[in-house]
Amino acid sequence: MSRTSVLVLRLAGPLQSWGASSRFTRRTTESAPTKSGVVGLLAAAAGIERSDDVRLAPLAALRFGVRIDQPGTRIRDFHTAHHGVTGASMPLSERFYLADAVFVAAVEGDHALLTSLHDALRAPVYPSYLGRRSCPPSEPVDLGLYEDARIEDVLTSVPWQASAWYRRSHQTPQTLTVLRETAADEPAAAADVLRDQPVSFDAAHRRHALRTVVTAPVPTPIPSVGGPREDTHDPFAALDVLEDESA
Amino acid sequence: MNRIFLDVHALQTVPPSNLNRDDTGAPKTAVYGGVPRARVSSQAWKRAIRTYFKDEHLLDPAELGVRTKKVVELLADRITGLDASVERETALKLADETVKAAGFKTEVPKRKAEQAKKDGSPAPAPESKYLVFLSSRQLDGLARLALEGAADITAFLKTKENKARAKELADTRHSVDIALFGRMVADVADINVDAAVQVAHALSVHRVDNESDYYTAVDDKNTDEETGAGMIGTVDFNSATLYRYAALGVHQLAANLGQGLREDEPRTEPVRRAVEAFVQAFVSSLPTGKINTFGHHTEPDAVVVKLRTTRPISCVAAFEDPVRSDGGGHLREAADRLAAYTFDIERAYGDPGTTLTWVLRVGPATQKLADLGTETGTLRELAAAVGQAVAERLEKPA
Repeated sequence: MSRTSVLVLRLAGPLQSWGASSRFTRRTTESAPTKSGVVGLLAAAAGIERSDDVRLAPLAALRFGVRIDQPGTRIRDFHTAHHGVTGASMPLSERFYLADAVFVAAVEGDHALLTSLHDALRAPVYPSYLGRRSCPPSEPVDLGLYEDARIEDVLTSVPWQASAWYRRSHQTPQTLTVLRETAADEPAAAADVLRDQPVSFDAAHRRHALRTVVTAPVPTPIPSVGGPREDTHDPFAALDVLEDESA
Repeated sequence: MNRIFLDVHALQTVPPSNLNRDDTGAPKTAVYGGVPRARVSSQAWKRAIRTYFKDEHLLDPAELGVRTKKVVELLADRITGLDASVERETALKLADETVKAAGFKTEVPKRKAEQAKKDGSPAPAPESKYLVFLSSRQLDGLARLALEGAADITAFLKTKENKARAKELADTRHSVDIALFGRMVADVADINVDAAVQVAHALSVHRVDNESDYYTAVDDKNTDEETGAGMIGTVDFNSATLYRYAALGVHQLAANLGQGLREDEPRTEPVRRAVEAFVQAFVSSLPTGKINTFGHHTEPDAVVVKLRTTRPISCVAAFEDPVRSDGGGHLREAADRLAAYTFDIERAYGDPGTTLTWVLRVGPATQKLADLGTETGTLRELAAAVGQAVAERLEKPA
């Protein structure tokens, strides 16, 4: 049997939008990244065309999980459009975004496939975006490839990814919410069902099947120290000194 | 595949203004780093870029597209333009058949047809069911095809070969703005074009709370007995130093555009010109919301352009911790942060061996950015340098 590994992504940026059931003029977002969105991001990086259902299939077969590290705020965007020639107004639409959110997403499956996807993220054919093209990630998304691992373990051990400001102004939560697919040997009784299993991204016949989602809390892993996100300018550090002096 | 990405970063200060409104008329906002920010949507700025292409004549009009449902009428005009002896009604018929063969569904708009019947005016031309985005060059190709089969257009387009030609004409030699920003046609999946450009929403680097301007206007004809204002109202606005970011997949743009269009020019010419036009338009374009009220005509204080062989990287995280004004505005701190963050992120994730960087900047406040790459004196020089480097890199074998 081939080895099973886990590829982990950090999905953070000013805006994200993960639609699962949007139609017509009201474009909503789920409160966490969808499997179809993340598989789409990986497929785009690997250069799989929208109509290529055959190459998409092994990616869609990966087991998916996501952890909510910083839930973010929902904002509504009001969108107008005008006819290119006549200038007449087109139907108004509402688009919803998650602002200020951070997620850890993970896909589990064949080691060789995940290695190639990991490489693709660093030199993608089509650049990555967080659910909508106007939402680029604020930093490179790959958090690493974990060999011989399972989603449950990785999402329990990857350090808490919340931003520095969030960690400063919020108490470290006891637990983080994980939404993941059931394992093959796991009873599906406790799971929710979501129409979020990508079958085809072809614009002519985009299709999604149902997939199971288990919601479970995990104890918050300690954030790592160091790294590029930690050494940003922190004006509050000066305030700490003042407080010490006045104490 | 040879991957080439261009990322463009700009810091731009706008005075009190309302570039991009929400449904209450207030400037759009977002939350980032836990505080409210001014936001200009990517859609608003992309529209400004397209308009800029046209207004500044950056590209030959033949390279620009038009988005319309009146594709049949447009094509009929081309047909009569090529051959004046074709009657209007025949031209419309030829155009309709050709448009359908290219894969678009058309129908006569019901309400207009009823109105025409009432008025006794000629029946209106069919329209496509969705907005179709076609370049001038594509329309010319389709018009020539229609004239070729003018004797019996239905039979002509029934042959597999001619039908394929119609489809191909609608699907190749995309105009520059379609190649950059994509085309969506809901019912003809096989001729969709995926955008090569990704434009992020512009965000202020600092906390912004919208303000409201209460105004009164005098009625000049009021008599002394009629006191009070002619009208009163409020306008919402804010002022901001914005971080703007866009990424362009040059290899994707090249695939969308196709190779050299003329015998007498290098293979990479269309891409080079499109890249130059994009850099110039992204930097200088400006959404025009309430521009006559606020006159917010500014240019970016600093522009950083990077050409890479690995993934594009946004530097918005440099401003997640909002810049606080020390009484001297936000620009200096923003430029310092952008310079420091760019160094850091490039050290951690960049590819110094293949990444090229150019800087265009104004004033002493942006001094720290000078060390990031090659400084250019004018926007025109910047665009030309980037275009040249793109062409050279495309020439290199993968």
